[in-house]
Amino acid sequence: MIVATAVCPQPPLLLRELTGGRDVAADLRKACEEAVGVLLGAAPDVIVVLGADARSADRVEGRIALSAFGGPGERVPGDEALPTSLAVARRLLDDLDARVPVEMGTIAADADPAEVALRGRAVADRPERVGLLVMADAGARRGPRAPGHLDGRTFAVDDTIRAALAGADRASLLALDPDLCAELLIGGRAALQVMARALDGAVVTAPRLLYADDPFGVLYLVASWPGEDA
Amino acid sequence: MMRLRGREYGAHETLVMAIVNRTPDSFYDKGATWDDGPAFERVRKVVSEGADIVDIGGIKAAPGEEIDADEEKRRVVDFVAAVRAEFPDLVISVDTWRASVGRAACEAGADLLNDAWGGYDPELAEVAAEYDAALVCTHTAGVTPRTRPHRVRYTDVVADAVSYTVGLAERAVSLGVDPASVLIDPAHDFAKNTWHSLELTRRLDEMTATGWPVLVSLSNKDFVGESLDLPVGERLTGTLAATAVCAWQGARVYRVHEVPETRQVLDMVAAIRGVRPPARTVRGLA
Repeated sequence: MIVATAVCPQPPLLLRELTGGRDVAADLRKACEEAVGVLLGAAPDVIVVLGADARSADRVEGRIALSAFGGPGERVPGDEALPTSLAVARRLLDDLDARVPVEMGTIAADADPAEVALRGRAVADRPERVGLLVMADAGARRGPRAPGHLDGRTFAVDDTIRAALAGADRASLLALDPDLCAELLIGGRAALQVMARALDGAVVTAPRLLYADDPFGVLYLVASWPGEDA
Repeated sequence: MMRLRGREYGAHETLVMAIVNRTPDSFYDKGATWDDGPAFERVRKVVSEGADIVDIGGIKAAPGEEIDADEEKRRVVDFVAAVRAEFPDLVISVDTWRASVGRAACEAGADLLNDAWGGYDPELAEVAAEYDAALVCTHTAGVTPRTRPHRVRYTDVVADAVSYTVGLAERAVSLGVDPASVLIDPAHDFAKNTWHSLELTRRLDEMTATGWPVLVSLSNKDFVGESLDLPVGERLTGTLAATAVCAWQGARVYRVHEVPETRQVLDMVAAIRGVRPPARTVRGLA
């Protein structure tokens, strides 16, 4: 049973050490902490984290590797380093001093609908009180200085995702086109669709969009979807 | 650790010391701050640009008209008092070799005695001890103030600079100067030809390895001019290159004419060394 869901983006700059002297992502981090705080406040037995990565894995363990981005701290071997999405999630949970078990997994950015449905059902069928944390970015081609430069098609798709997160509209998320999303560098498409499948038919009370902005050319969305039993 | 005016500075903090000449004839500014008004404007400007220290001097280093102690005091002491009144927290240095001038400057509020002629007046260190002032111990190989190098020879200029300045530093501490407030300076161009100054720059790590904080005074000097064949007024780029090399090797204080350019170089080198985070990093991380 999923008691609450949170959606956060996964840029490395949420790891404070990586942004230098100035904290360029303070507002974004605050919104993420609010969303994760709602999750933790729903008294879950377990936090299930689902993040995008190159390939899917049901269970991932490892450490945050700031060194992978040139940041401070010891060099972490590649096979011990968390993928970026899960590293950001780990940090958010650590910063909030989460004292519940955490299970982390990845979903391939190019996962097909069958895999999405399977992964969604696996979460939905869990008997415990699950707090679901989904790490997902929207488009990264929102301007000439964006990581993927400008692709004008992104705005309509991004607006769809934004509205879906604001209104807990699962059908719109499931209707996202995987190929178009891949072209627009929407890294969170598969993870968002797993979430939509997991919550298929569930009641979401008072969904809130806590952040929606693209200060660096990537659309970051933070959402909180409390369940009826949250 | 380094302590100036009661404030402690960490091992990787670098400080910019801005030159303020109370002279009619210094090589770089040619008397621009000889009068009180322009001198005060210079202090305000360098403070607003982020200078950590001002270094006030009444006698140019090169040979010229003889300036006795009374005239040097007239040029410096009241000005130090006025700067102290306007900038209570600013570290004020006075560039003098004379103990009598140093004493009057400390009475007026100076925090640091920049003994640019390397202990020529041995009582200057005693003045520093008496007033709990900091002291710069400079390598001049014992030459008379305001003399130019002529066919100077060293077996090993860096070894000479290290032993000479460390000797002065240890003597100062034995006289009661706070060990955290003693700096050493290889003194580029003083009793040195350009080859000597270049070698000191190249091997500055041997001075920083002594553990004494190192001050370098590179700004627009002849070793830069001769290296690039450029006159005074066109030596900033070369000065900044030398600044970067010294910063890479751990020099702590930089005596300069140009404050913001120096600050940028120091901040950049500190970022490259990994002792100061970049100001703001987003590239590739969004």
